[in-house]
Order: sequence, then C-alpha cells, then structure tokens
Amino acid sequence: MRITAEKKAATRERILDVATELFRSNGYDATTTRDIAVAAEIATGTLFNYFSTKEAIVGALADAAVVRARVEQANIAAESLEEALFAMIVAELRQFKPHRKFIAPLLETWLCPIAESVDSNGGNLSRVEHLEMVDSLAREHGLGELAPVALQLYWTLYTGVLAFWAADKSPKQEDTLALLDESMAMFAGWLRSEQSESK
Amino acid sequence: MTPNISELIAALPESGDESKATEAAALPAALAKTSLRPIPIGRLSRLTTLGTLQAKIGAAYLFHWLRGWFRNAEANERNLAETHWQTALRLLDSMSYLRGAVMKAGQTLANFPDIAPQQFVDTLQQLHAEAPPMHWSLLSEMVRNELGDDPENVFAEFDKQAFAAASLGQVHRARLKTGEEVAVKIQYPGIARAIQSDFRNFFLFLLPSKLNRDWEYLKDQFNDLRQRLEQETDYELEAANLAKARALFRDADGIAIPRVFPQYSTARVLTMELLDGLHITPFMERGPTQEERNEVARKMMRAWYRMMYSGRMFYADFHPGNFLVLDDGRLGVVDFGFIMMLDDDEWERYRRFDRAQTTGRPEDRVAVVKEWSEIGDNETDRLRVLDEYAQWCWLSRYDGGDFDFGDEADFRLGVDLFMEMIRKRYTRSRPNTPTISRCQFGWRSVFYQLKAKFDIRSIAEEEIKATDWDRSDYA
Ligand SMILES: Nc1ncnc2c1ncn2[C@@H]1O[C@H](COP(=O)(O)OP(=O)(O)OP(=O)(O)O)[C@@H](O)[C@H]1O
Repeated sequence: MRITAEKKAATRERILDVATELFRSNGYDATTTRDIAVAAEIATGTLFNYFSTKEAIVGALADAAVVRARVEQANIAAESLEEALFAMIVAELRQFKPHRKFIAPLLETWLCPIAESVDSNGGNLSRVEHLEMVDSLAREHGLGELAPVALQLYWTLYTGVLAFWAADKSPKQEDTLALLDESMAMFAGWLRSEQSESK
Repeated sequence: MTPNISELIAALPESGDESKATEAAALPAALAKTSLRPIPIGRLSRLTTLGTLQAKIGAAYLFHWLRGWFRNAEANERNLAETHWQTALRLLDSMSYLRGAVMKAGQTLANFPDIAPQQFVDTLQQLHAEAPPMHWSLLSEMVRNELGDDPENVFAEFDKQAFAAASLGQVHRARLKTGEEVAVKIQYPGIARAIQSDFRNFFLFLLPSKLNRDWEYLKDQFNDLRQRLEQETDYELEAANLAKARALFRDADGIAIPRVFPQYSTARVLTMELLDGLHITPFMERGPTQEERNEVARKMMRAWYRMMYSGRMFYADFHPGNFLVLDDGRLGVVDFGFIMMLDDDEWERYRRFDRAQTTGRPEDRVAVVKEWSEIGDNETDRLRVLDEYAQWCWLSRYDGGDFDFGDEADFRLGVDLFMEMIRKRYTRSRPNTPTISRCQFGWRSVFYQLKAKFDIRSIAEEEIKATDWDRSDYA
C-alpha cells in the first residue's frame, strides 16, 4: 500500500502533537522516542523515518512555531529596527511558550552557530530563515546588508535571550522582555554607530 | 529624592570610605575605555545578573559626585566639570532604571532655582525628557501580559503615543469600551524588581565599617527611603491608595482624585480616570490672577490636610507635576505611589505635633523637636538649629492670616536652615524625617512657584474639626 503524502503529513502532525503533550506532562528528559511512538500508535522504526532524534522533533516544533510567529508578525508596522526585531522575537516567544520548559536543553545544539551537525529536519532552516529576516529588516530600516560579524553578534544576543527566557523565573517572564528590549536596542545602536563610522 | 539624599550624602562618614573615593576617581578613565567598546556589555549584564558590580560602582560614583558638589556648594559652583557630567550621564545611561530616582532629584532640585546650578537642573530635566520610551511592540506585549489581550482589543481606543512620562514607565490616553476616557500608566518590565535588588546591594556596599551614632540613624533613614521607593513601584498599592484618598472627598471640595478601574489594573498597569487640565507651569504662563493662584494653593492644602487628618495618609510626593488645574476649575491630584500610612504610634506623634503647630508656643515646639530628634540637654546648637527650622516650617500655620508664600527671603531662610543642618550633620532623627522634609520643601516650593498668599491655619482648623479631635487641653 502506498502511503500518500497527505497521510504522511498527518502522521508527522500526530507525532509532533503527542510529543508536545508528553514533553509537557512527563518532561523532556523523561520522554523517550519509544514513548512517543507508542502514543502516536506507530512503530519506533516508523518514527525514525520521520525524525531521526528527539532533538529533531523539538526542532520541527520550533520551526512550526516560527512559521506561525511570522504570520502574526506580518501586520506589525515597526518604527525602528529595534522595534521590528523585538516584535519578531516576541512573536516567536509567544509561539514557543508551550515548549518553554523543554526548549532549554536543546538551545545549545539547535541554535549554536558553530554546531556542525544540525539535523536537516529542523533548526538549521529556522536559523537561516531567521537571519535572512534580520537582514531584510535591517535593509528595510536603512541599515544596509549585514556583515557576518553583525549576524554573529545578533545570533549571540538572540540565543542569549532565548536561554535567559527558558530559565526566566520572573513574573510572566517580564525580565526577558526587558532583556530583549535592551539587547535589540544595543544591537541596532551598534549597527548605527558602525554605519556612521564607516562613512 | 534630593535634597534628602543630599542630606544623607553630605553626612556620610568621612573616614573609612577612602577606598570608595579612589574607586570612584578611577572610574572616569575606566569608563572612557568602556565607551569605546562597541558593545556596552553592562547594559546587558545588569539585567541578567541584577546588582552587578558596575551598577554598584556607578551608584557609588554618582553619590560621591553628588556629595562632592553639595559639600563645596558655595566654593566651587563653577567647577562642575564637564567631564564629571559626561561621566555621570554615561553611567546613568547604563543604568536607565535609576533614571526614575534621578528624575525625582531633578524635579525636586528644579524647585530650588537658587541652590541648584542651572546646568544640573537642565541636564536632569533633559534626562526626564529623554528617558527612553517603550516602543509600541513592547508596550502592547506588556498590556497583553498584564491584561490578557492586545491594547486594541482591551480598550475601545488606545493612543500609541505616550502623553506623559512616569518615573518608571509612561502614561497613555485611552478610552474604555464603556466610554470613559482613561490614563493608563504602564511600567517598564522588570524594573521594580531590578530596583529592589540593586538597592539592596547598593545599601550593603555603602555600609562603612565604623558606625557612629548618627550614621546609625542615617542608615535607618536611607532604609526608609528605599522602602518608599520600592512602594512606588507597586501600582496595586497605588490603586489602593487612590481609592482610599478618593473616598475622602466630596463634589463641593472641588478636588478631583482619579477613579481607578481595577479590572484594567495590575501591579504593572494602572488604569485611571483621565484628568484633563494644566500643570502648574503652563497654568502660571497663562497669567492667572492672585486670587486664582491662591485658590489653587488652598485646594492643594485642603487636599493635603484632608488626607492627613481624615485619612491618616501622609501624601509625601508634593511636587508640581502631581497637580493639575482642571478646565472646570477643580484641582486634580495624581500620583499616589508615595503615601505614608500613619499607624497609631505615628498618629500619636502627629497629635503632639499638632499641639505645637496650633499654639505656636516655643516650649511646645521645643518639646516636640527634642523628642523627634532625640536631642540631649547639652546639645544647645543642635537644638537651636532644629528649633529654628521647625519654626520656619510651622510659622505660617500657627500665625494664621494670609501668609505670603512667594516671599523669596522667607523661602531662602528655610533652605539655609536646612543646608545648615546638613552641613553640621544634624541628621539624627526618626527614619521618616527625610520623607517629611522632602514633602515640606515640596509644598513650600509649589506655593512659592504659585506666589500664593493665603491662610493655611483656617484650612487646617476646618479639616481637624471635621475629625472631632478633643484639643481642649491646648489652652
Ligand atoms: N489620571 C491622570 N490624568 C491625567 N494625567 C495623568 C494622570 N495620571 C498621571 N498623569 C500624568 O502622568 C504624569 C506621571 O504620572 P505619575 O506622577 O503618576 O507617575 P510617577 O511614575 O509617579 O511619576 P513621578 O513620580 O515622576 O511623578 C503626571 O505628572 C501627569 O502629567
């Protein structure tokens, strides 16, 4: 029997749904790929056809969240680069929120810019797409094309904010908002000073 | 907070803090380097690890610098070196949340045109204007977090542009779905907790090893100020204060205290009735008559005494920004973050004050002053200065009749007495003294600005009578 693309997509969705559920109720570490396969009513071997590791599942969850975030972000008219970046990341955080507790252990492998082997099932795509967004926002706000060092700096700040957020114990994670605001203001300020220096 | 913080600063023990002075002196150089670095790491780290060394050194430097200025105020007013300014400002910039406190210093100092150098006042006021606003995306995220939905959905209308800066956030005009025009005060995220944590560390840092007796008092006073600053960050407390104060007034008083809308208020967001009117400065620019100015001042005084005597609420943040002359002639009072609620003990003390304030008898006054500042029988100069200061504070009250609050010589006398107390380090007194003298100077300088001439005794008497005190033993 041929498995249709449609059916495949449905299975993939189901895996992601049950994984989210299990991560949330049992914790990320305590959940095994076997648990996920059982809950999704598929063989463990089949699961690996979809996702080679547990990390890849989270990566895919994050990718999906990013897609939803971009839709939300589309109707925000930001007045400055820092606001545009803030709006973009805050929209992401809102989508990441259900996964906040278990996203932390992944950040290192998933988001680290020097990680060699990022699973093609997720993560890498997000990063490239994310940085392209940043680059286009910078151009939109008249700050030109971003040099590699700028992207590197940005990525450090961004992952720093995510890491902080994952462990943020302040009420409603308000400290993350402040950190994000300051970080983006700092980044945009730095870009501007670089730009005026090179003139 | 100045001049009360300046009082504390000036009285900081000289010995034992040399190391801090050196650290402070080395700072400009260190800072100059930092500023060349492309990434101001400090801004980032202060939020990740609140209470960083940089913040501590920064605050110590700021205080050192303030102290230096106040100590030599007469000698080297002109010597307020540019570089010091820039250094201090850069530091402040890296500690943006401290701006709230500094703005307060600015507001208070701006009331003393004679004792504060113009440069100081100007720059602080500029800081006020330049306090970085929250952009719309951050603001709506705060509203979403606090009120559960986008501002556009929570309110019928929401003005994206803030119409006023608050010390820790900003104020926006909005309209409720039920039609009321409101002012929504929104706090910068995390700032309340950052202040608390940094002040705690800052306080430890300031503690010298050798404690003399006056320093102990100072410590209590500083602690008191710290607690009050912390209170100011709690909008829920402010909402409760507003409701309590509002209940004390009737339409006939002509005094408006904004109503709170609790369903749109949290610890970080305060939604209240919008009061439409003019602040004192623009009001004065319209050239009001003497009687119009007197009437505004009378209402201020009545509002203050009503809260004091009927509500046992000491409204401490008496500065021009907190009053509005409304279009319909009423006086609007805003900002209820800085209220001392008087407990029974404190209230008893105020009753003893009242006796001295009412009779004007020197022996009554001396008794209160001695008790308040724990003055021993052999401390004649201390008693003299503090008694003269008390006399200055209370003269307009017990003398009765129209008092000319616009009299510059009298105003200066109070400032001079206060400065003498600071210079001589006569700071021993109850913990809330800085708050009280801040308020005292607050209302005197507002009345000075209004050039008001009116009788405060009759207002006080009316307000006290309404509370049914038994004062028959005064005679
Ligand atoms: N209900 C209101 N109606 C109209 N204007 C208001 C109202 N509440 C506040 N404002 C305006 O906002 C300004 C700041 O508000 P408020 O004084 O409450 O803030 P704050 O943080 O306590 O600031 P500060 O301590 O520096 O005075 C006021 O000076 C006033 O101009």
